[in-house]
Amino acid sequence: MSEALKVLTANDLAGGQVVFLSEAGWSDRYADAVIFDDAAAADAALEAARAATLTLADPYLIDVAAVDGLPVPTSYRERIRALGPTIHPDMGPQADGGVLVHALQQARGAARSSGRLGLIRRK
Amino acid sequence: MLIRLENDHFHTVEDRFTAVDDDAALTGDGAVLLSLTRFEADGAALLAAGRDVGVRIGPADRIEALAPVLPSLALVALEFPKYRDGRAYSSAVLLRERYGFDGEVRAVGDVQIDQAWNMVRCGFDAFETTVGPNAWAAAARRYRHVYQASADNRAPAFVERARVVRDAVATVG
Amino acid sequence: MFHYDAIDTAMVADRNAEFRDQVQRRLSGDLTEDQFKPLRLMNGLYLQLHSYMLRVAIPYGALTSAKMRALAHVARRWDKGYGHFTTRQNVQFHWIRLSDTPDVLDYLATAELHAIQTSGNCIRNTTSDPFAGAAAEEVDDPRVWSEVIRQWSTFHPEFTYLPRKFKIAVTASPQDRTAARAHDIGLVLRRNRDGRLGFEVIVGGGMGRTPYIGSTIREHLPAEHLLSYLTAILRVYNRFGRRDNLYKARIKILVASLGAAEFASQVDAEWDAMDRPRLDLPDIELARIRASFGLVPFRTMPPRSERFEAARSDPAFARFARNNVVPHKIPGYGIVQVSLKGIGEVPGDCSADQMEVLADLAERHGHGEIRVTHEQNLVLPHVPLDEVPALHAGLAAAGLATPNINLVSDMIACPGLDYCALANARAIPVAQAISRTFADPARAERIGELKIKISGCINACGHHHVGHIGILGVDKKGEEFYQLTLGGSGAEDAAIGHVLGPALGADKVADAIDKLVEAYLAIRQPDERFLDTYRRTGVGPFKAAVYPDAHQA
Ligand code: HEM
Ligand code: SF4
Repeated sequence: MSEALKVLTANDLAGGQVVFLSEAGWSDRYADAVIFDDAAAADAALEAARAATLTLADPYLIDVAAVDGLPVPTSYRERIRALGPTIHPDMGPQADGGVLVHALQQARGAARSSGRLGLIRRK
Repeated sequence: MLIRLENDHFHTVEDRFTAVDDDAALTGDGAVLLSLTRFEADGAALLAAGRDVGVRIGPADRIEALAPVLPSLALVALEFPKYRDGRAYSSAVLLRERYGFDGEVRAVGDVQIDQAWNMVRCGFDAFETTVGPNAWAAAARRYRHVYQASADNRAPAFVERARVVRDAVATVG
Repeated sequence: MFHYDAIDTAMVADRNAEFRDQVQRRLSGDLTEDQFKPLRLMNGLYLQLHSYMLRVAIPYGALTSAKMRALAHVARRWDKGYGHFTTRQNVQFHWIRLSDTPDVLDYLATAELHAIQTSGNCIRNTTSDPFAGAAAEEVDDPRVWSEVIRQWSTFHPEFTYLPRKFKIAVTASPQDRTAARAHDIGLVLRRNRDGRLGFEVIVGGGMGRTPYIGSTIREHLPAEHLLSYLTAILRVYNRFGRRDNLYKARIKILVASLGAAEFASQVDAEWDAMDRPRLDLPDIELARIRASFGLVPFRTMPPRSERFEAARSDPAFARFARNNVVPHKIPGYGIVQVSLKGIGEVPGDCSADQMEVLADLAERHGHGEIRVTHEQNLVLPHVPLDEVPALHAGLAAAGLATPNINLVSDMIACPGLDYCALANARAIPVAQAISRTFADPARAERIGELKIKISGCINACGHHHVGHIGILGVDKKGEEFYQLTLGGSGAEDAAIGHVLGPALGADKVADAIDKLVEAYLAIRQPDERFLDTYRRTGVGPFKAAVYPDAHQA
């Protein structure tokens, strides 16, 4: 078993857009997300997010696996949520493109870990 | 806090009813509020002693069970265990419309300001809530018109409209 | 076309003020998300996978050119330039900000549009016949009765916190274009032998996890007692419907557990005890509502239009005329259906530009009226046949002339996992793949009527249970799979479909549909629709086509 990786996500209360906890606060780019490999730290961040009821709605943790050195959400639901609607590639964060967007788009089914995470920041 | 609606006016009042748990002793001689079970056991004696009695009804209790004793009750308290549980609205309407109950009908439990107009329209006239009476009154009167008849006897839109027509005809005639 | 009076306008304004206040209280922290959620839902605002979604009601599916332009404006100003027409005669905007919502609603109110009770456990927008006022066979205008229900159900104080959502459909034609039997209450208006108007009252239909076709609890309710009788049904449901389990809370479960006869007798007991004259609508108000729909200034014309017939020499127009135009009750007019199912496009989606084109075309050729169907298409109900060729040209220029109404590519699909937070799988890409498989319009016509309906999860927003072919997205070990059902119908011959076999991978679905269609073409008898053949032969030949290796049972 490789280590359990997590990302903290929510929706912005006023705007509704998907956001991820990054080093510099909340970001609407999955690519900015902090990757937790410490369950206690992830849970503590989730608690803090739950308390931020004036800015966030529905915070929760998602599972991430290291696929070819990149952190990919294991469930296809979370990949679509991080990318935007698959029928409109011009909408949502996927429109930016980039190596991580590509990795998420390429992942199939329940993504499984294929090794260790590369150069991605983590906590 | 208890808000009462009297003569079209919402104001805060002292609750004169003492809630008595099912296994607690009955003391004093003031007004009491009982569960349906407790009322079935002790209600008759309390009423015979001339005390004001209220009954607290859960959402699943059938209001029909109270029908025979309603004329002797001073208060029926209807529970909202969660504010999304809307059964008590029907109970209140039946109390007012079907059984002609003219005592106090009180909303207890999860009583939120956004339900003020529903409650008032369904015939509630007392509200156990943390909301102040002015805010409560404003929320209860939020809608200047209503579309349907309910227990508050406000004139529905179709009555208002018919009135306009009648007045116009009267002016012309 | 119905217009608000001062009371209706005040109603919507008061609601919008209330919701503006509630949004403010949420943003300032006076309301928690748990407290706010039911309030925003009652104003049609969902939190979806990527953003908030605002569901705007189109009462009884009737739009005017002005309303359509207002929708286009919302799409452009506050969304990403498009809207999605749903199966319940609503339109959904997928990218709305919570903080903008009060302004959006105020703007919509200027066009007599609103999002009141488009979600939440209350009485929702009433579905009605998109051909109302145009269909030859209708006994009365169902919009009049839908408007009666709209008013009665709006801010109904007793029925705002029901066990679950509640949807009513009204139709007045023998041909059911509302899926009445799949609603919580379906009302079918008829005249009895004495010529009196009355409703067949059908209760307890619905989709979701446990689909039911509704049961008739009254053959002929005198029309004037509609509101008191509806009140009786809702009261029984509000009091005795289950609240302990979300999946058992719909009225269909109450009706099924009591039995339709017992449910009917409880309703009757309640109805008998009521002060009906207080609740029923007085004739004068019914007459007022009827009058406020106004009369369409139809012209007198010969039944046959030479211009229309001449245009048929263009094969594209001829195909459009065959599939998308149906007879009108007035000689010389036609009902023109506009497909929102362009080949490879998103079923039900319509861009702001297209909305504006439709508004213009309806004004020019169709008395300014546009309808929304429960099959996610639009209708121009009153078009002089002489003008259909010009209308067709206008539609074609905007990509709106797909000649496929009721054909295989005219699919229903819910938003699925591309938008919906509850989804198990995507629905739209499946629809797109099937659509491309059947892109050849000649083949589609040869196949004939075939209703494919796709849902991304068991909530069945895409009506898959009543599809001739239903497709349900499921999550199988972390992958998108699709289960096929056959033999459903949402029309007057309503039925729930049967599961064909094990779920298929996403890339196998379009091919499986192709095989089902080929199997049908091979064995159909003259004039048999796909559904008829299935009903005659049973599942055997279809199962063999898709699962050739399966052992014979
Ligand atoms: C995208 C956001 C949507 C959400 C969150 C949503 C949610 C739901 C849920 C939870 C149910 C099941 C209710 C129950 O069985 O008690 C349901 C049913 C339904 N929804 Fe949706 N829905 C959405 C969009 C749509 C759309 C786009 C359509 C039309 C294309 C639609 C039409 C329906 C219909 C027809 C039903 C079945 C009603 C019945 O059981 O009678 N919904 N929806
Ligand atoms: S059927 Fe499921 S996936 Fe589709 S819109 Fe409804 S809830 Fe979402």
